Amino acid sequence: MLRFILRRLFVTVPMVLVVVSLTWGLIRLAPGNFYTGEKPIPPAIEQNLRQRYGLDRPWYVQYGRMLGSVAAGDFGISLHYIGQPVNGILASALPVSALLGALSYLLALVVGVAAGVLAALRQNSRLDYASMTAAMVGISLPNFVLGPVLVLVFALSWYWLPPARWNGFGINLILPVVTLSAVYMAYVARLARSGMLEVLRSNYIRTARAKGLPERTVLLRHAVRGGLLPVVSFSGPALAFLITGAVVVERIFALPGLGNYFINANLNRDEPLIIGIVAFTSIAVLVFNLLVDVAYAFVDPRVRY
Amino acid sequence: MSGTDAPPPIAPASDAPAPDAPVAGTSLWRDARRRLLRNRLAVFGLVVVAIVLTASLVGPAIIEWTTGNTYDSIPADRSRIRALPPFTGVDGRFSWEHPMGTDILGRDILARVLLGGRISLMVGIISTVVSLVIGVAYGATAGYVGGRVDEAMMRVVDVLYAVPYMMIVIVLLALFGGQSPLGQLVLLFVSLGAVSWLTMARIVRGQVLSLKNQEFVLAARATGVRATRIVARHLVPNALGPVVVYATLTIPSVMLLEAFLSFLGLGVQAPLASWGSLAAEGVQNMAVFPWQLICPGATMGITLFSLNFIGDGLRDALDPQMRKS
Amino acid sequence: MRRALGVLLSRALSLLALSPLALSACAGPGGDGPYFGKVAPPEGQTLRYISGSEPESLDPQVATGQPEARIILSLFDGLTEYAPRTGEPIPALAERWDVNGDSTEFTFHLRTNARWSDGTPITADDIVYSLRRGLSPALASRNAYLAYGIENAQAYNEGAVFARERATGAFVPDPANPRIRLTLPADPEVRGEVLARLPGLADGQPDLDFVPVQPEDVGVVADDAHTVRVRMALPVPYFLGLVAHQFFRPVPRQAIETWGERWTDPAHIVTSGAFLLERWLPYNEINVVRNPGYWDEVRLDRISFYTLEDVTTMLNLYKAGEVDALYNHTVPAAWVDTIRPYKDYMDAPEASVEYLLFNVERPPMDDIRVRKAFNMAVDKVALAQYRRTAKPLSGFTPEGIFPGYPQPTGDPFDPDRARALLAEAGYAGRDGAWDPSTFPIADVALTYNTAETNRQLAEFVQAQWKQNLGLTVPLRNLEFRTFLTVRNDRDYSGLARGGWAGDYLDPFTFLELFSTPAGNNGTGWFDPRYAAMLDAANREGDPAARYARLADAEAYLLDAQPIVPLLTMATNWVKKPYVKGLFANPVTMHAWKFVYIEHDPSNWDLEDPTPR
Repeated sequence: MLRFILRRLFVTVPMVLVVVSLTWGLIRLAPGNFYTGEKPIPPAIEQNLRQRYGLDRPWYVQYGRMLGSVAAGDFGISLHYIGQPVNGILASALPVSALLGALSYLLALVVGVAAGVLAALRQNSRLDYASMTAAMVGISLPNFVLGPVLVLVFALSWYWLPPARWNGFGINLILPVVTLSAVYMAYVARLARSGMLEVLRSNYIRTARAKGLPERTVLLRHAVRGGLLPVVSFSGPALAFLITGAVVVERIFALPGLGNYFINANLNRDEPLIIGIVAFTSIAVLVFNLLVDVAYAFVDPRVRY
Repeated sequence: MSGTDAPPPIAPASDAPAPDAPVAGTSLWRDARRRLLRNRLAVFGLVVVAIVLTASLVGPAIIEWTTGNTYDSIPADRSRIRALPPFTGVDGRFSWEHPMGTDILGRDILARVLLGGRISLMVGIISTVVSLVIGVAYGATAGYVGGRVDEAMMRVVDVLYAVPYMMIVIVLLALFGGQSPLGQLVLLFVSLGAVSWLTMARIVRGQVLSLKNQEFVLAARATGVRATRIVARHLVPNALGPVVVYATLTIPSVMLLEAFLSFLGLGVQAPLASWGSLAAEGVQNMAVFPWQLICPGATMGITLFSLNFIGDGLRDALDPQMRKS
Repeated sequence: MRRALGVLLSRALSLLALSPLALSACAGPGGDGPYFGKVAPPEGQTLRYISGSEPESLDPQVATGQPEARIILSLFDGLTEYAPRTGEPIPALAERWDVNGDSTEFTFHLRTNARWSDGTPITADDIVYSLRRGLSPALASRNAYLAYGIENAQAYNEGAVFARERATGAFVPDPANPRIRLTLPADPEVRGEVLARLPGLADGQPDLDFVPVQPEDVGVVADDAHTVRVRMALPVPYFLGLVAHQFFRPVPRQAIETWGERWTDPAHIVTSGAFLLERWLPYNEINVVRNPGYWDEVRLDRISFYTLEDVTTMLNLYKAGEVDALYNHTVPAAWVDTIRPYKDYMDAPEASVEYLLFNVERPPMDDIRVRKAFNMAVDKVALAQYRRTAKPLSGFTPEGIFPGYPQPTGDPFDPDRARALLAEAGYAGRDGAWDPSTFPIADVALTYNTAETNRQLAEFVQAQWKQNLGLTVPLRNLEFRTFLTVRNDRDYSGLARGGWAGDYLDPFTFLELFSTPAGNNGTGWFDPRYAAMLDAANREGDPAARYARLADAEAYLLDAQPIVPLLTMATNWVKKPYVKGLFANPVTMHAWKFVYIEHDPSNWDLEDPTPR
């Protein structure tokens, strides 16, 4: 197991290299530049700008410099947010995204697994139908609809909660966390239910029951572990996405997280910032997926590496 | 449903067993269909989807024929260029002309929702097919072969996850985004297909990984069944539950992704709209013209609901372990 | 079956249940009160204002956008300031000024009691330093073009050279404008070409030295510690309005030389304005507090600039009483009818326009008759009516902004004439009448950048052409920077969307857009005669005669029809009744020192006592 983890961590380095290089190439291919504006700028000023940011150098020099910055873990200075170090931006946006993502994931996991497992244990009961209907509503209501609806009800009609803005850990987070987790909660509930149903019919559960194990032990020690496998494999992408891709929620609730920066960095062709966020998130994706694979081995004894 | 208790219909020629398949193969599909048709929710879902599909195919023509409204007709009469609530005429009284009201440009929302249905359903179906075909094949191969191959294949998926999708779309558009509407549509499907299979591949791989050491697979392998056949006949069918569930989850997320892509300039061009873009517009005006959100939102919601009933029904019907029921 | 129906019904009901709620939400907590949403003044003299996107920079000379300008105006004082009601220039760092007869020299007399936030006095040297810095090639400011009217400013910014006769040491004067020196491109090849075209110079060429233009050559001089003289290359009658612009606001040499690019960090920044930078939380808020050392009265203790982008979120925050005022263009067309009845709504014409550009280089839009037909076939009155706030535009400069400007009108809405023109251009059937099927519609599209308002505008215009010409022009939306690249490179066919907000209150800020050589304005249209007409107008000493000449030039532009004028925009924002000193001025730039919070509700509806 340890060898497996080390090997995967080792693979991370070339992976990040590939991702960052592809991204760098894409930025070069995209039309427009960070300085493209409403009014075409005079060629002389454009020349000055390119010189100032080293864009007049040959591509391999620029590429090398980019790789160097990634290797050093210092992504340089943003082109759009003039003079601001990318590392500083990441440091300010990451806690916001991490808190938002982690809370949403926890909420989704706790509620989703509970609902899914209970629904599976009492298949076709009222509880099953109710929780699966709720899950369907969660999935069918995109977060750009759910968020504003929640705001309309809780912030603008009843004036219970603030409609937007980041204010650290506090009530400002309630609406965004609920909005962000709703879809995942629903996913998790449905995946958990179907996974559980599958497992409950499997031979090893039958064997466990036949052995005369108490139902509680059968469920908790055997069924839940196997039944949550789809949830676990969904967790890697979900966690990575929750932490890096909460763009819509960040916009609706005006939260200064990574997603907001990332969209704008793309639109602004802000190369150092894009590279910084991509390098960071690709490491995050790889680590989460690794965690998922490790969790697999723990949850499901059938899986071997 | 009246047809539920009737004997299963005789299989048409297309459902006849393939020459090399044993007779049991037929009854699998026939069984599945019988079970599906016995599932009331699934049948209900089928009916609703059929209605929505038919309505979006022929509805716009009927509306144009009866009221003259099309999805893009902005009234020439200046006083009519405004948002009217459902079933309301310009004079504020009841009228049949706009059952879902109009948007701020005075366009009939019903016509827009129906036409949007064509796009959204097409987007949903094509992406689901792509995610099923590529994702399942890819994930199953990686999971079954295992070892280095699995490792490499999954790292490719990881890379695709990590490269900024938005940049890919911007570049795709810059390179191939000509002005032909057909080219745009192809580009849209390529862009949607490119991402929709990634998570599916991971899920299938996970399932196969846990299934491949089970007795029935080991038995098949021991008796010399070819690998492709083991994957196709034993592993994939047993992993179908999560696959079908995830596929039905893919549809809404792809419909929303389409709305986001239109922000970048990909996707259908205005004045055409999809359910996603109509809902996005409705959200902005939610507090002023709620019907602009409720009408497309409810249509989309009901359709997604029904698709999920079908999905659940399909899963139960296809589940090899449920054969006896 | 019954269960499924129940599920559906409950879902439908839950959605429908929102509608009465949503409607009641419009009325706000005060029921039918005169104000929109919650009205609760913040404690003390604090203003919470939404300023738009996260600023690129707080360096006045580097930042280009309006979101930045809104904040910078609180931190940095200008020689002149925008008057709160009109946006006209009023004294600030400069107590008074003199202008010579032909507007080629401006002398600013600085007040003696103005200080930087670190205590050092603000002197004429600071003004000179700042302008030179703003124009320096190394800074590469994208706003440098604003100062190009100043003598040698453009040459310095572009790294150009003077020509000096080796024998006499005298600089060669500009043949077109002998008052100033000739400047030439630094690149010898290009320079050779330019020289070859200049009469009477080619023969003397070998005797010329080429001297780079130095910062000292820029026409800004400190006569003494509190007097600055700015010399113009050409008459610039609108210069006073321009110097309130952020680009002309002096920057602190001491901080810039110590900290370099990072001088705007809250820890390092040195400012001159009514407020001091206290805290900068990216994508969240920027706090400024009253500057106790400021020379003028400041009424607010603190401003929190909230940086966010989503319009619906802004209106939500506003309605919930979490912010006190928004920036301009923040009320979507759909909301205007709902919000206009409240006293919060700030509506006034603004110095900005929306229009469409033709790519005149590609057929069929190279034919002026086709362009005129496309213009005449759009009913701009109906467009303005749907937009609720904007006014129809038939000229190119915004209507109702420049008092005394004899604005020309373009062609009126006339579908019959449009069809006739198209037939005349050769798109006619056998009977000689306009036949849409002969028109190469595949070569035409309307390109715009992604935004809800842009899309609706495009859809409206498309419907107009469909109704009036029988042509369905395809729409094509692009992400902002792709769009700008496509438009600037004229890589589009047919039409593209354009919008322009004036940099200062003068028609020239609009007309100038189309005087750029080589058609570098998105349309490919360039006419030396037009540029000459603008030049001649600016040389005119008498303001009325100048306006008349500018209007002639505008009429000439409209006649060539490289554009379809659409709308004069409106300010279109909201503020709470307790916010005073904040007005809907045509530039939507606010001098924050005049703003205050009125805690006494009985004064809310009275005439605002702020002068000017």
